[in-house]
Amino acid sequence: MPLSAFLTVSGVLFAIGALGVLVRKNPLIMFMSIELMLNAVNLSFMAFAHFLDSAQGWIFVFLTLTVAAAEVVVGLAIIVSIFRSRTNIDVDELNSLKG
Amino acid sequence: MLFSQIAFYVLAVIAVASALGVVLNRNAVYSMLSLILNLLSLALFFLLLGGLFIATIQVLIYAGAVMVLFLFVVTMLTPGGQAPQGDDPLRWQWGAGIGMGAILVGALVWAGFTGAISSDAKAAGVSSLTSAIAAFGGNTEAFGMALFHGYSFPFEITGLLLVVAALGAVTLGRRPTHADE
Repeated sequence: MPLSAFLTVSGVLFAIGALGVLVRKNPLIMFMSIELMLNAVNLSFMAFAHFLDSAQGWIFVFLTLTVAAAEVVVGLAIIVSIFRSRTNIDVDELNSLKG
Repeated sequence: MLFSQIAFYVLAVIAVASALGVVLNRNAVYSMLSLILNLLSLALFFLLLGGLFIATIQVLIYAGAVMVLFLFVVTMLTPGGQAPQGDDPLRWQWGAGIGMGAILVGALVWAGFTGAISSDAKAAGVSSLTSAIAAFGGNTEAFGMALFHGYSFPFEITGLLLVVAALGAVTLGRRPTHADE
């Protein structure tokens, strides 16, 4: 398959993830959409690594993976602590910076 | 048709359908399971692209460890398994989001097909991955050589990042004590 085929799949996945962040109100699903976008970029990194015949794409996927793991840990901790102080975690209702 | 072509189309359909499932499902747990399917299909994409080691850690770490953590929080925070229903105060954002998404898909597909991105893909290649795999005797070995010889400093920073994330999760997750009041 040509490089453009992989980039197309990657672009479609990224756009679906961006759409999810824009339209969903549940912060957990927004979080999953961010994971979708990260993985779409990982796919394009892997495709470039294959077609450029270079290991640099693999390194970047590895770094993205660790950043995603750290992001999930901190983000879920924030969501859980919001849920403790107010039972509704709908992002449209969260319009105040006070705890 | 070649096996790799058939595999590509099947995987592309699964990946896009499961990604849509993540965004469109009302129930967060179904979204979650859909996301796991998406991550597994991406791992198969990585195998198709020759990234054996990356595909393995994608399944073990991402689809395994990270998603189990996610699933715990999702089941904890959605009592009864249903998202709260009600009238949407910001209904216009659906239209805006779909419009932006369509523009994004168009731009990315255009860039991919006109060769704006990939025109000099081969020419820009510096070190050869194929020769590295042959020289070091395997996929994982080639990845390890690249990581620890060319990118050892970013790798160290990764360790720092994970420590900071663990500390952050502990700090945010503890219950307030009397000393805070």
